[in-house]
Amino acid sequence: MKFVAIIRQVPDGEAKLREEGGRIDLSGATMILDQMDEYAVEEILQLKEKHGGEAVIVAFGPERTKEAIRTALAMGADRAVFVKHEGDADPITEAKALAKVLAEEAPTVVFTGGQQADWDSYALGPAVAEALGWPSVAWTTAFELEDETQATAQHDLDEGAQRVRVRLPAVLTTQQGLNEPRYPTLPGIMKAKKKEIKEIPAEELGVTGTKVEILSQAIVKIERKQKILDGTKEPEKAAEELVRLLHEEAKVI
Amino acid sequence: MLDFYRVQELFTEEERAVQQAARRFLEAEALPQIRTWWEAGTFPTHLIPKFGAMGFLGANLPAEYGAAGVSSAAYGLIMYELERIDSGLRSFASVQGALVMYPIFAYGSEEQKREFLPRLAAGELVGAFGLTEPDGGSDPGGNMKTRAHRDGDHWVLNGTKMWITNGSIADLAIVWAKDEAGVVRGFIVPTDTPGFSAPEIKSKMSLRASVTSELVLEEVRVPDALRLPGAEGLKAPLSCLTQARYGIAWGVLGALEAVYTEARDFALSRRTFGEPLAKKQLVQAKLAGMLADHTKGLLLVWRLARLKDAGKLHHTQVSLAKRDNTYAALKAARLARDLLGANGITLEYHAIRHMLNLETVYTYEGTHDVHTLILGREITGLAAF
Ligand SMILES: Cc1cc2nc3c(=O)[nH]c(=O)nc-3n(C[C@H](O)[C@H](O)[C@H](O)COP(=O)(O)OP(=O)(O)OC[C@H]3O[C@@H](n4cnc5c(N)ncnc54)[C@H](O)[C@@H]3O)c2cc1C
Ligand SMILES: Cc1cc2nc3c(=O)[nH]c(=O)nc-3n(C[C@H](O)[C@H](O)[C@H](O)COP(=O)(O)OP(=O)(O)OC[C@H]3O[C@@H](n4cnc5c(N)ncnc54)[C@H](O)[C@@H]3O)c2cc1C
Repeated sequence: MKFVAIIRQVPDGEAKLREEGGRIDLSGATMILDQMDEYAVEEILQLKEKHGGEAVIVAFGPERTKEAIRTALAMGADRAVFVKHEGDADPITEAKALAKVLAEEAPTVVFTGGQQADWDSYALGPAVAEALGWPSVAWTTAFELEDETQATAQHDLDEGAQRVRVRLPAVLTTQQGLNEPRYPTLPGIMKAKKKEIKEIPAEELGVTGTKVEILSQAIVKIERKQKILDGTKEPEKAAEELVRLLHEEAKVI
Repeated sequence: MLDFYRVQELFTEEERAVQQAARRFLEAEALPQIRTWWEAGTFPTHLIPKFGAMGFLGANLPAEYGAAGVSSAAYGLIMYELERIDSGLRSFASVQGALVMYPIFAYGSEEQKREFLPRLAAGELVGAFGLTEPDGGSDPGGNMKTRAHRDGDHWVLNGTKMWITNGSIADLAIVWAKDEAGVVRGFIVPTDTPGFSAPEIKSKMSLRASVTSELVLEEVRVPDALRLPGAEGLKAPLSCLTQARYGIAWGVLGALEAVYTEARDFALSRRTFGEPLAKKQLVQAKLAGMLADHTKGLLLVWRLARLKDAGKLHHTQVSLAKRDNTYAALKAARLARDLLGANGITLEYHAIRHMLNLETVYTYEGTHDVHTLILGREITGLAAF
């Protein structure tokens, strides 16, 4: 059996981002394996440990994505296929390219993050499934392989949960709670150096550009208003003003 | 990590991965509770096998002995990340790796290496290093009263060691003693050997999340097979100290990052005299000094790492980095404590814990002044000890 995790590299949530000329400059930022994708990597490692076979990483992104791939390999995956693409690409474009890799790999099951931290999109997993004509289950919190042709999964809803049976191959997206990702260890990092990363230029998979162009990016700035009312002289008026501000401006009462 | 000059670009991809992995693990497993352990005066022994599994112990030693086999810079980055949490955690790893595994690796027989190194690397065994004695640590040769005399195929050890990290939790201690001819020799002493005891030193106001002990040896018999065959003379334990000091030079920069970041964030969020504290010139001067020291220190240790891997490292270069980086970190911790005002005196913040820890780091592994004298001798050729 073959288990695949699709991963991406995203800025660390705590990274300090700089805005330059209407674009986010990532050159000085710490980049990490998307934490939602980490659940995908952990899940395929557990599947391999339980059922045998191969745990394969498939990644899409610019050259530096290799760092995230190495992290996944350091966690224990066997090898990686890396679709290299500099510049922007929308989820549908990415999914189409990744689908070609997956069609060739012919895995038993594919996992990827339920959400992409950088785009804040949920599209990648379902779009890959769509491109392959495979079923997809989103936001999984539990997964059980029954045999090579079917599996059961739990899918969390806002106020409840569903258990489903899905035909394989399928693409599942992760949700917090699916598992507890292991740490990459130093011996794992050393072994990862020797593992294969097969590089495929995105153009070879038909990527010619992006269908959604990013025009500008901005970082939200949160600033306190630091408004202080002087209540020492006319406390009643100050209290009235406070109520008015809370009602009309802050709209909390 | 704090990296004003983008020194990380000088690291290999693998070294950066080690740093990220260590930070991630320690932020999850150690940072949330460090204050509790420190206040209680306990070392988190449950972390020892986890450190082993992560590959933190003796990480720079070869994989054939169960260690991770990483570069000197990667090893340094582990020390950095450990000490960013607490000097006590870094001290544990320094002793285990540089002062216990290293002497077995450098001076041990092949059988000793195969027997002990993999289990020490995995954290199944804990080691201690006994050099300092009650009469003084700065002159270990002159003050060494611990004696080893030969009795058939055994050695009998008598003496007292003082201020020994991990002493009371150790399974084995590397004990340095003079033989009948006055030559310093090293022994691997299992701590359950009759006549060996290790009472813990209490009431420390520094390095509280680390075990410090006295080692008492009364007619302790160890087989000759547990003597380190390659160690003869004081230069053997001193070479171990060079390894540990190398790690300290990295480690203290982690503590510096921790206190700098905390002070900066505090100064940005606190308002006095109608504006953020961070807008005051005196405050900015303090923060600028801390950042400058961190930046210079990181370049020093990066260079040391490359010299070490090239086999060109001289112990006086390590002395300079241990001395200056430790003092820089201690000064930064004092300034951070100051910038936090009254908040800075509580363990709610990290500054005072680091500040108190760094007093130990300033003193152990060669005091600040002893390293000054080592550099003085290097410069002038005249020993002024
Ligand atoms: C928490 C902790 C853990 C430790 N862990 C270990 C361990 O695991 N193993 C181990 O072997 N040791 C350990 N040590 C001991 C440490 O290495 C010694 O404390 C250190 O070497 C200094 O020795 P001392 O305390 O006896 O001070 P002394 O050597 O007595 O020095 C006292 C003062 O005199 C100064 N001084 C000394 N000589 C001179 C000189 N010639 N000229 C001018 N000034 C001088 C020193 O700089 C210092 O300020 C530990 C210490 C501490 C505090
Ligand atoms: C153990 C203890 C007991 C105390 N007991 C009492 C008590 O009995 N009664 C009482 O009223 N108070 C008491 N205090 C409070 C004490 O007086 C304050 O902590 C002190 O005035 C500093 O205020 P702060 O802690 O808010 O720090 P802050 O005023 O926030 O100062 C933080 C840092 O900013 C610096 N700073 C502040 N303003 C400027 C500026 N304009 N330019 C440059 N730097 C600046 C300060 O020097 C300090 O380094 C006590 C404090 C402690 C720790």
